[in-house]
Amino acid sequence: MIGTRPASIDPTPWLDLAQHADRALVRQALAADAPGEREMAILLSPAASAELEAMARRAQALTRRHFGRTIAMFAPLYLSDYCSSSCTYCGFSITRNIPRNKLTVEQMETEFAALKKMGIEEILLLTGDRHSAAGFEVIRNAVERAARLFHSVNVEVFSMTGDEYRGLAEAGCTGMTMFQETYDPAVYAGLHLKGPKSNYDWRVHAPGRALAAGIRTAGLGALLGLTEPRGEMISLYRHAVELQRTYWRGGVSICFPRIRPQTGGFAPTFEVDERMLAQIVFAFRICLPDTPLALSTRESPHFRDGIAGIGISKMSVASKTTVGGYSPATEHSAAQFEVNDDRGVDEFCAMLRSKGLEPVFKNWDGVYREPLAAHAG
Amino acid sequence: MSDALQLGDRTFSSRLLLGTGKFSGREAMIAAIRASGAELVTVALRRFNHDHDDDICAPLASLAGITLVPNTSGARDAKEAIKAAELGRELTGSPFVKLEIHPNPHHLLPDPIETYEAAQVLVKEGFFVLPYMPADPVLAKRLEEIGCAAVMPLGAAIGTGQGLTTAAMLRLIIRDARVPVIVDAGLRSPSEAAATMEMGGDAVLVNSAIAVAENPALMAEAFAMAVKAGRLACKAGLMPQSETAVATSPLTAFLTEVA
Repeated sequence: MIGTRPASIDPTPWLDLAQHADRALVRQALAADAPGEREMAILLSPAASAELEAMARRAQALTRRHFGRTIAMFAPLYLSDYCSSSCTYCGFSITRNIPRNKLTVEQMETEFAALKKMGIEEILLLTGDRHSAAGFEVIRNAVERAARLFHSVNVEVFSMTGDEYRGLAEAGCTGMTMFQETYDPAVYAGLHLKGPKSNYDWRVHAPGRALAAGIRTAGLGALLGLTEPRGEMISLYRHAVELQRTYWRGGVSICFPRIRPQTGGFAPTFEVDERMLAQIVFAFRICLPDTPLALSTRESPHFRDGIAGIGISKMSVASKTTVGGYSPATEHSAAQFEVNDDRGVDEFCAMLRSKGLEPVFKNWDGVYREPLAAHAG
Repeated sequence: MSDALQLGDRTFSSRLLLGTGKFSGREAMIAAIRASGAELVTVALRRFNHDHDDDICAPLASLAGITLVPNTSGARDAKEAIKAAELGRELTGSPFVKLEIHPNPHHLLPDPIETYEAAQVLVKEGFFVLPYMPADPVLAKRLEEIGCAAVMPLGAAIGTGQGLTTAAMLRLIIRDARVPVIVDAGLRSPSEAAATMEMGGDAVLVNSAIAVAENPALMAEAFAMAVKAGRLACKAGLMPQSETAVATSPLTAFLTEVA
């Protein structure tokens, strides 16, 4: 079944501009007082790639203005790789014949301790799609345990009901991340053939359900490489703006996952190279100056070092994309995707400091972890 | 001649307060504080991280001549801010709290309703409450009435460097205030700090403009000088502005001339 893309995030009105803007329009967009949808489309255009240096300078100035000379740090922890969906690009897909793993409570605590020892204060807990081995209760329990140790606990799991999000918030969950993967309903249908994730509509409205239920921040993203990126990024931008307007107490952040080699050997249909990825990051920073923009260890050390502080304000570090993996006690399983930057915390932080950026591990406090009252908008 | 800033039961000779976020590291932050001559520095509870490299509290607590003002940045309502203020007092021993409640994590503008509610409670709990607030003259008086030690209206949104966008409202707040008015947020250049002091502001709080400058310590020194210059100018009394030049042959001369 093909889902329905809400009109509020339809990129169609801007597609022509995103392809055919000329250099004069790009310069106007760079000088705009209040860049919006139109400027976003223009800054994603091929013509704008000729102004990449000017975009980078503007992006750096805006990042400094709103986030200072700091980078917020976090690390992911995969709780389980059991999955009930068949996303063709994913290493955890139900169709892959790999041994499945799930952390026991003891292993989870061991992993938490290992992450704390690394200095991590913001943890992102991940699973595959909803599965009897890793359902809501497993995640709620993990959040509750993590919240005793970490100031900031976020989840990147499956789409939940509003009541479930409320339950997570009450257990101490501060944020959720939910990549739509692709905003194009037809492409989405072709990539998500089976399982709960095949429901486009349920997923696209998940961040709104979470914010309405009292989760503080929603992380958005589209998996770059699945389809034509410019339209995707316009939808992503519109989605972020729509959520910020509707849930004005909520925070929105944006990630830029790009397809990397993983189990199953999925090749991206529309490859996004580093230059295009940088252009996308700069365009988002210029058009959403005070929204946190995050980059994971999917990207190379070279790219991460270069773009830190130039648009990007938040980075994961020393990530493992296997189930567990931070302590020697957990067995190594298959990874969801290959990490491209495997530097440890000390090495990565030394790099940031050498660039005049302070790595900030704690930028939140558990004292603020009362869930917000549920609100309609 | 003594020209002390009175806040609560304390007096301070510096009228420049510093925020401590956004610096590229501990050394840059400390160098800027020293160069600024600030005696009051605000510090976000959310950046307290005992025994870690990014902890902001311990390096500040060890600085001589500095009074810490924990802030509740990150709080989205009165309840959270009150908890944060209590924890900040417990951890620092400071009687001051910069009350900062911003429900929207993007523009970070203060919530006047929650700020008022939290201030009522914190004043009763014995804090010297310094509320970060929209530049609203009525709210300033309401916060003064319930016992805040100062009011901290914003010049512009945090980190924007847009300067004194609220100047007309600030003038009213300053004109009517019976507690110190500390203009907080939005300043970009020392000349704006001087202008704030010239219009009668009692102090300014600066963070981004110093932390994000190419040379934070030098910028801190520049702000310190500007604040002093603005204060002196205010006390000296600026000459009145006039829309028209004063003519040497007045048009109304005929009214006094004898025919």
